[in-house]
Amino acid sequence: MTVHPTVWVDEVRPAAAPRRGTLRRMLARNAPGYLFLAPWLIGFFGLTLGPALVSLYLSFTNYDLLRAPDWVGAANYVRIATDDPKFAAAMRVTFIYVVLSVPLKLVFALAVAMAFNRGIRGLTVYRAIFYLPSLLGGSVAIAVLWRQLFASDGLVNMLLWKAFGIEGPSWVSNPDYSLYTLVVLSIWQFGSPMIIFLAGLRQIPTDMYEAAEIDGAGKVRQFFKITLPLLTPVVFFNAVIQTIEAFKAFTPAFIISEGTGGPINSTLFYTLYLYQEAFGFFRMGYAAALAWILLVIIALFTAFSFLSARYWVHYDD
Amino acid sequence: MTDATVTAAPPSRGRRSRTRSLLIHGALIAASIAMLYPILWMVSGSVRPQDELFGTTSLIPSSVDFGSYLRGWMGLQVSFGQFFWNSLVISVLATIGNVLGCSLAAFAFARLRFGGRNFWFALMLGTLMLPYHVVLIPQYILFLELGWVNTPLPLIVPKYLATDAFFIFLMVQFFRGIPRELDEAAVMDGCGPFRIYFRIMLPLSLPVLATAAIFSFIWTWDDFFGPLIYLNDINTYTVQLGLRSFVDSTGTSDWSALFAMSNLSLVPVFLFFLFFQRLLIEGIATTGMKR
Repeated sequence: MTVHPTVWVDEVRPAAAPRRGTLRRMLARNAPGYLFLAPWLIGFFGLTLGPALVSLYLSFTNYDLLRAPDWVGAANYVRIATDDPKFAAAMRVTFIYVVLSVPLKLVFALAVAMAFNRGIRGLTVYRAIFYLPSLLGGSVAIAVLWRQLFASDGLVNMLLWKAFGIEGPSWVSNPDYSLYTLVVLSIWQFGSPMIIFLAGLRQIPTDMYEAAEIDGAGKVRQFFKITLPLLTPVVFFNAVIQTIEAFKAFTPAFIISEGTGGPINSTLFYTLYLYQEAFGFFRMGYAAALAWILLVIIALFTAFSFLSARYWVHYDD
Repeated sequence: MTDATVTAAPPSRGRRSRTRSLLIHGALIAASIAMLYPILWMVSGSVRPQDELFGTTSLIPSSVDFGSYLRGWMGLQVSFGQFFWNSLVISVLATIGNVLGCSLAAFAFARLRFGGRNFWFALMLGTLMLPYHVVLIPQYILFLELGWVNTPLPLIVPKYLATDAFFIFLMVQFFRGIPRELDEAAVMDGCGPFRIYFRIMLPLSLPVLATAAIFSFIWTWDDFFGPLIYLNDINTYTVQLGLRSFVDSTGTSDWSALFAMSNLSLVPVFLFFLFFQRLLIEGIATTGMKR
């Protein structure tokens, strides 16, 4: 068999590898692939891997952009772990935000998706309306709006006054409530997980429900015995993506607190604290340590999710 | 509409299912109004008399005045026209870069044979999980050294280097679905890899390229963190930064003007939503986009 002249293409039937790998032949085979990959490779080494390693190094130094980095060993990490009340506050705030906003958002998304899945007239219109906040929600404009809605004389308090005669507090400037306005903002954007759930629900064969109906299983039983188990891969996917996104949330907290994370650190999201350390105080080494801790948290969470998936996520095979 | 056929119940259950359907629609309409109320509130708030924003919960303004748009547009020492132009330039160039850079890499991963392909592919998937903050500070130092701070370059150039691995992954999935026989036939006809990429892959991948382009544009347009770090000179501000300065400068004194500019900042995203809604929703359903 002759060697195929164009060895760079990925064929249906792989051609026999050339026996004698002269330099020219090796180049002919690999060059097109690496040529196309070149921009990504430059970006990977220059903007991802390189910077990630540099920031790991910086996390063991004190660095203010002006003087050369000063090696301090694990001092940054030690201070973060033992003597940094703002770090503790940021962890607490972020953790509450994740734990509240992600499950509630997913519950809303699933409930609405199930209502849609019954096949209703005008589905596309409803779906579009419910999706819109999800698309607009990440912008500064919506964060600005949220500040008005939850201000002491904002729309929410006007509605409360009209409906119940309750005089609501200034939600955004009260440390007891400010974080929860951000949780509400996040839940309001349940549109995209809803669409993913809807796509997942469509995959469940209807004859399973018919069979269950014949066997006398009620709607609730059908939900827990058919819908939920068959939907676990989608639940898993949505939960992982939304959790990672929630850990990285920044814009709404920044706008609502005017960049302070206040009042009394009540909206000090982890990324906001990191931003303040890096670009407010120019403690680049300390901020790099915070960034690496964030990476480890996200990696641990992801690893834990995938390990636990074996026990609760239902796969076809 | 095909959805309607599903609701058609057997005649014996006709009345029950009609009340049911009325109930469901009632609930959905109420929920829709609740979902959209804040946005509509902002739209009507931009044209109504200022004191009405804090006296009524109605969406209908007692009188309509577009003066807030003029006040907002000229509200800072640089007009919002400049901010819109800056945002447009950054978003368009970043979108082109993203589609170009990611499709080149995706073509290599999906279609070309070269040593180490699986290794690089695994690394690329690994970067999907990496939070941006880990590379933030060294990248900032790099761009500072290059003299790119206060220019849009740090927000544009990385996109041409396919740093957004998510889009590579999206395109690889799509490219793999295109029949390989087409490549083989093209090779027989003497096409090189670039001709296959340009003449076969790209034209056959328009849906995924459009989806990637729309999401790139919207995400870049909405991005606040990147511009906040790299753009400090008000002449280089994007719309999002302009809005933030406007909040700081007016405080809460001119809500109508603030709402007016907020509305304008949402217009491009809203237009994409109106015209490409199906692509957006299909993109999310098939790939699990986060927003």
